[in-house]
Amino acid sequence: MTGGAPLIGIVGSGIAGLRAANALLKCKVDARIVIFGDEDHRTYNRPGLTKKRYPLSDPTEPTDATDSLETTIAEDLKVNGVENTALTWRLDTRVETADLRDKVLRLSTGETFAYDSLVIAAGVRPRTSVEGDNDCELHTHRTLRGLDDAQYIHNELQTSRKVTIVGAGFIACELASLAKEYGCEVVMLETLRHGPFESILGRRISVALGRWVTQNGVTFLTGDSAKELLCDRAAVPARDTNDPDAPDPRPSPDRSLFIEAIGSVPNVEWLHGNGLDLSDGVRVDEYMRVSGFSDVFAAGDIARYPDPWRTANLTRMEFWKNAIDTGDLAGRSVASSLGYDSRTSRIGYFPSTATEFFGLRIQIAGNPKTSDSMEIVRGDLDRPDHGVLVKFLREDVLVGAAYLDKGARFNSLYIELLKSLKAH
Amino acid sequence: MKIFVDRSKCQNHGLCAISAPANFELDTDGELQYHESFDEEHVDDIEDAIDSCPLQAILLSRDAA
Repeated sequence: MTGGAPLIGIVGSGIAGLRAANALLKCKVDARIVIFGDEDHRTYNRPGLTKKRYPLSDPTEPTDATDSLETTIAEDLKVNGVENTALTWRLDTRVETADLRDKVLRLSTGETFAYDSLVIAAGVRPRTSVEGDNDCELHTHRTLRGLDDAQYIHNELQTSRKVTIVGAGFIACELASLAKEYGCEVVMLETLRHGPFESILGRRISVALGRWVTQNGVTFLTGDSAKELLCDRAAVPARDTNDPDAPDPRPSPDRSLFIEAIGSVPNVEWLHGNGLDLSDGVRVDEYMRVSGFSDVFAAGDIARYPDPWRTANLTRMEFWKNAIDTGDLAGRSVASSLGYDSRTSRIGYFPSTATEFFGLRIQIAGNPKTSDSMEIVRGDLDRPDHGVLVKFLREDVLVGAAYLDKGARFNSLYIELLKSLKAH
Repeated sequence: MKIFVDRSKCQNHGLCAISAPANFELDTDGELQYHESFDEEHVDDIEDAIDSCPLQAILLSRDAA
């Protein structure tokens, strides 16, 4: 520090980064706060990217249809706090490397940035089976993480006839539902499991959800039949090899959208060389502090912290509320490290999330993954749309709950169940 | 302060009803119902509900009643 207000660098312009910044502002920290984001957008509501269908652009409108859909989505997903003039945004700027001992970031623009405190909120990126975003003769290949991806995909789904989706997690299922609403023929490929959310909710529920997806008109394939339809992008379209700058050849009329939604990878590469534990995200303590560096913190999807639910375990969660809570806490911890009186308390996050596809709402709370048995409290897995309430137990202790329903028949019962789950 | 839910954004995910059951609930059809006004003792719950919403559909409006 060269005197004056400390300089705080926040790497990542998602909600965790923004909430860390807001927490610092709330603590009235006299600091300059700079947020780096490799997307060209300030923070937006990421879960919203796949949660809702947007109306078809009116073809009689004189405006460019793509532009208006893009604007509609961006407007719809705005979050509070991004207009705060106390924050400096460095968008479309990637942090290439970090030297945590000298406290310097090297940026994609060639500049360096010397910080006094650093918040790592760089998030995750989609896992892909093949490097790059190259299209093949048969498919336009895409993944979905950012606003640009979502704008492209919504636009494509509005006009496509067919889409193939690999994976059966939250994004895959929400995309399949959206694609059907937009009128596409949808094929889902799940090569490893029996159905949606198997790694969280177990095989029985996963099989029931697979049936639900099928009943709603999706061709849902698993195992070998799914593997057969995977694409290794070997069928490359003919292009002008003499001119590397030549644009992609025009897609053939039957080329279709192929989306991989098979999980994610933490963005940690830029942190290599600092001796951090980067085995699965960035390891932090229960105050979001990175061990060994009193001025480095992490939050959001990338932060791997002691599980408040199971001592001795570490957890890393990719949920909106987790990013908010860990972001807030990281900001308060930075304030505290700078000598400000801030209300820091170890992370006490209660995991709770929800999704909806084909009209079926699925709420999940606690940590069903760690259970050794499940018990159906209400309903019948053959009719998830009529409501199914499930308890997850570990050594007969409640560790999680899930509730599937088209209406909300057992919602108050679910909330009662969560009260006892929270209390444990 | 009053609660306002933007119905064009809300998709009835019901996370607010978990955070702040005194103000939000899903009816048997799964539609969100809520009370606009809240007691000071519930303000933390309301903030938790606002944060939890995956559609960011809940706002506090400062308009006097």
